[in-house]
Amino acid sequence: MIDALRYEYLRLRTIRSTYWLIGSAVAFQLVMSIVLAASISSSDTFSGGDSAFEIIATIGASSGFAPLFIAYIIGLFGVLSMGHEYRHGMIRATLTAIPHRTYVLAAKIVATTVVSALAALVCILVALLSIVGFGLDLPTAKALVDLGLGTIVFTVLFALSGLAFAAITRNQTAAVALLLLVPSVLESIIRAIVIAIKGASDEPGEDGGFIQILKFLPYDAGGKLYTRASLDDLLSFLGYTPFGPLGGGIVMAVFVAALLAISYVLFVRRDA
Amino acid sequence: MALIEARGLGKTYGAKRAVDDLSFVVRPGSVTGFLGPNGSGKSTTMRLMLGLDNGDGSTTFDGRRFGELEHPMRHVGALLEAKPFHPTRHARDHLRMLAASNRIPDGRVDEVMDLVGLGSVAKGKPGKFSLGMGQRLGLAAALLGNPHTLILDEPSNGLDPQGIHWLRDLLKHLAGEGRAVFVSSHLLQEMAVLADQLVVIGRGRMLANGAVSEFISRSSLGAVEVRSPDAAVLAPRLTALGAELTSEGGVLVARGLTAEQIGDEAHAVGARLHQLVTRQATLEEAFLEATGLAEEFRGGGEA
Repeated sequence: MIDALRYEYLRLRTIRSTYWLIGSAVAFQLVMSIVLAASISSSDTFSGGDSAFEIIATIGASSGFAPLFIAYIIGLFGVLSMGHEYRHGMIRATLTAIPHRTYVLAAKIVATTVVSALAALVCILVALLSIVGFGLDLPTAKALVDLGLGTIVFTVLFALSGLAFAAITRNQTAAVALLLLVPSVLESIIRAIVIAIKGASDEPGEDGGFIQILKFLPYDAGGKLYTRASLDDLLSFLGYTPFGPLGGGIVMAVFVAALLAISYVLFVRRDA
Repeated sequence: MALIEARGLGKTYGAKRAVDDLSFVVRPGSVTGFLGPNGSGKSTTMRLMLGLDNGDGSTTFDGRRFGELEHPMRHVGALLEAKPFHPTRHARDHLRMLAASNRIPDGRVDEVMDLVGLGSVAKGKPGKFSLGMGQRLGLAAALLGNPHTLILDEPSNGLDPQGIHWLRDLLKHLAGEGRAVFVSSHLLQEMAVLADQLVVIGRGRMLANGAVSEFISRSSLGAVEVRSPDAAVLAPRLTALGAELTSEGGVLVARGLTAEQIGDEAHAVGARLHQLVTRQATLEEAFLEATGLAEEFRGGGEA
């Protein structure tokens, strides 16, 4: 396993995409957090604190009205982790160097987890620097830990799902498409259909029932890790109560674990 | 020293049996050529040997399967396809990455870069390499662990004539050091001067396995050139003995009889012989003959 990690470490260090993906995420976070911090510093509504930190750290995603952009950028890192193996015909060279496929996949999971967590952590620190730089009130320790941890966990799970999509499809382009479309399009379509059916039912306001399916849309559920308000709150009149950060995080974690389990089975059994 | 033993290798794609019950041995100190028409299952066989594809049978390297080898690049060097690398990762970094997984020092990376003639482009991006340079980088990767066994799939692809000459010398040298070299190639003339042993397959099945000289001598395409002022007397007798005769510029070319048989018959009928020369089939002729019926894609053949 150590050898597989050494391989993965060198693989990541010696390829440009590692740097431009992390650089893009941090640069995006830096520019946007400066813009938001500047805006908030000139606002009479906010003077900083938890709410300002949550909005700046997630670039508005904590409001539930925007996706967590850094997760999408860093998520590509997970896709490329496995996608490069197939796109550039590296997989056979990799497996003749390290025949233990379990180690190869495990090393990629570990590397993706560590790198995406560190990248997300840097993004949170960039947000804090912007807050300090513009003289806004600092968040409480609880808000810092809760939101920081939630953002990091979501980003890691998001990146791992990208890795799993690439391992399952063995096609980098298809994996990128899945990573972008499943959270943003597929889940929205499912949500719209479920809401339409529930709204058209005899008792749309009845608690529970069919609409509870929405609680298990994995990326939406995982979003509770960093959202502090959500469009889902507007659905309470349909008897819908979403999971909190812990429950939502568990739903997403189970989904990603299932994807990785499928990836593992296929990776071990398929011809290289 | 490593002995490769492949036993009962088999692979099925859907309804098609791509490789069928192949068993052979590759001995240390020799170059074993792996021949077969396009699509005959050579690459699949090599992948089966290295555990990259799932299938029947097993291959051992000194008694151990590839997956059981610790730091396999130190035991078996493999080149399976052209350009198996990321186009923008520097050539040297590509090798460093592979070396790291097998605890091979970076110094060896520089050695093999120089050995394959890529020392001057160590910081080059393989995406801009020619096919021949890509093959050299692939060979460098195969040699990285100084392995006792080499499995090379069409390593001469893309190499220029000097490169092919260099590769021949290199592989002969490596075999001379006691390594087992198993190499596929479609360049039959090259294989004729490179290989000591042959494994010939067609449609995934074994057609021949043994020394190159045996394979060629078994070919019915070998002939005996007969120059005789009494050809008119001799020819009907040779035909009666089963020879197939043709005339090439006044020389009678007989197939199906040995020089001894022809000499004896000439003596028996009192025909004078001015020349009696055994002409062996070339490897190419022997190969085409051996694979002729098994050639899957030959014109007018079975689909």
